[in-house]
Amino acid sequence: MVTIAPDITSKPGSANNSSDVLRLGRPFRYIVLTLVGLFFIVPIVSSARFSFLGNHNSFTISAYTQLFGTAQFWSTLFLSAKVGVGTVFLTLLLLIPTVVWVHVRLPKLRRVFEAASLLPLVVPSVVVTLGVITSFRGLPNIIYGTPVILSLEYVVLALPFSYRALDSAVQSIDLKTLVEAGQSLGSGWIKLLRYVLLPNLRGGIIGASILTFAFCLGEFAVASLLSFTTFPVFLVQVGQLAASQAVALSLLALLFTWIPLAVITIVFSQRRAKRSTPVLDDLEIS
Amino acid sequence: MKTKTNTQGGRYGRSGLPVEFDGIARNFKDVAALKSFNLHADPGELIVLLGPSGCGKTTALRVLAGLEMPDSGRVTIGNHDVTSLPAAKRNIGMVFQSYSLFPNMTARENVEFGLRVRGQKQSDRTARSNELLELIGLKDQADRYPHQLSGGQQQRVALARALAIKPEVLVLDEPLSALDAKVRSSLRDEIRRIQLELGITTFFVTHDQEEALAIADRIAVMHQGQLEQLDTPLAVYTNPATEFVAEFVGTVNRLPGKVINSNTVEVATVGPINYAYDGAFPSGSQVEVLVRPESIGVRDGGDDTCRVLAKSFLGSTIKLTLLDKSDRLIIVAIPTSEAALVANSETVSLYSRGDALLVKDGAR
Repeated sequence: MVTIAPDITSKPGSANNSSDVLRLGRPFRYIVLTLVGLFFIVPIVSSARFSFLGNHNSFTISAYTQLFGTAQFWSTLFLSAKVGVGTVFLTLLLLIPTVVWVHVRLPKLRRVFEAASLLPLVVPSVVVTLGVITSFRGLPNIIYGTPVILSLEYVVLALPFSYRALDSAVQSIDLKTLVEAGQSLGSGWIKLLRYVLLPNLRGGIIGASILTFAFCLGEFAVASLLSFTTFPVFLVQVGQLAASQAVALSLLALLFTWIPLAVITIVFSQRRAKRSTPVLDDLEIS
Repeated sequence: MKTKTNTQGGRYGRSGLPVEFDGIARNFKDVAALKSFNLHADPGELIVLLGPSGCGKTTALRVLAGLEMPDSGRVTIGNHDVTSLPAAKRNIGMVFQSYSLFPNMTARENVEFGLRVRGQKQSDRTARSNELLELIGLKDQADRYPHQLSGGQQQRVALARALAIKPEVLVLDEPLSALDAKVRSSLRDEIRRIQLELGITTFFVTHDQEEALAIADRIAVMHQGQLEQLDTPLAVYTNPATEFVAEFVGTVNRLPGKVINSNTVEVATVGPINYAYDGAFPSGSQVEVLVRPESIGVRDGGDDTCRVLAKSFLGSTIKLTLLDKSDRLIIVAIPTSEAALVANSETVSLYSRGDALLVKDGAR
């Protein structure tokens, strides 16, 4: 007996409606896209032009060569990257088990955790900073006097982004059932994490990592407050002395965030494409 | 867990183990999901846990699978008390209601998962997954991901995955409820075929009485956290232990009646009906009689007539919705061969053609 699965039925009416909307909105859509594009591109292009401007409107790359020659450029960039990687590591270590546990065992507290993760947006970052410092005051110098404390700050401050990214990834799969299926097949938590949870949450983990890393690379206030010369702090310092170098630096900062982001996105989308070949036939042979 | 298995039973050289729920209680806050629940399953038996939502059937299944810990009571499989064992150590194959396949793995990888976490060699895993994919008839789809399979195919892979670990007990939690009717009944038969072939003790949860009647060795009808009746499908249908069972499994008419003698009761509109006398009612008592639609016949004309409100043709039977002179709704099912009786009639009279299901005190 051959029956056709019901989920391939289409709704011609609704398709027509949506294409009507699209047709009407097309010119408007292009206007909006153009405006938004200009809003982003104009400042970047202007900055780029300014950074290559020498005396008497000549073209020069001296702003860049001078920067690359500065020891502090490399040390602050390295410090920011180090803090960023550390923050991402701590964030994932803390949040993956938390989010999974909340979904599987404490579903009623999900809203509470979600609200708590948003607090850093509401509470001024100076307050959060002081709070974190006070909380970790008793810890040995290896944490308190080093950039580790900065990572601890950033874990908290980036929570609104990292938690949401992971939470929505968890919501998109039936986590509880997958966990229970794994357990009934004899899997412990470690193997569940390795074979089931991490692969299925990969999108959310990558998203959370990118957002957290980008946040660390761009954060100025807390780093400055705690007297760490990170990349953004260096940028501000340079800006007070040499305008074109500061602009060049901010462009580089953009690149440093975009390149890893692009690489991760491309790698990720290729993996996905490999998996999502279309269903060849929807026939249920029974 | 090591258990002694005898060599009789299914084709795969295994046979089922007895399963015992002994006084299981489980509360969720103030709600008692299970209240001293007792049930014994014989080796290789397929028991369907049937009941309305909230009756505790899924909780009972989850307690057996180790996904829920009981507040009190004992669960034994074979001769082993498994009450305190976590799910991962119970060796129970479970099929879930929603599609529980791991989305990042192909059908084959899903089937092999349980063997992989047990550290089996790839060659052994492949051999076993081939065997099971063949059993469920999806060998050609082995390399597809779950989203490339239809709902029915996904549930079959889930069944194969549950069986791959050579479980001691198979539990299925409403495995067919997300599928459409055709696939549902064919997969139901397939589950039964495989279960008989393997001889594995199986628990199957459903709220669908037709599914339960079709597949079960015995049906455990549950109500408010307790077992109402545990019996064969035929006995549950024809000889329900309680009013609840009578109403939940199949359709019943409730009609007022008067006891005539030890095995006859005079029922309003229908007339005399036989019932199994249990000594409870003296002659002349007013009672309420529960009668199945197919135990009532219709004929044209007569004095005590009913109006025909609706006729629905169900294939082998015709269901009539009738209104008697006292404005009581009566449902009657007649064989399609008697269609001519009601072809043009707007009124019919009734007679009994079977026994009463239950007789209880007092008329409404």
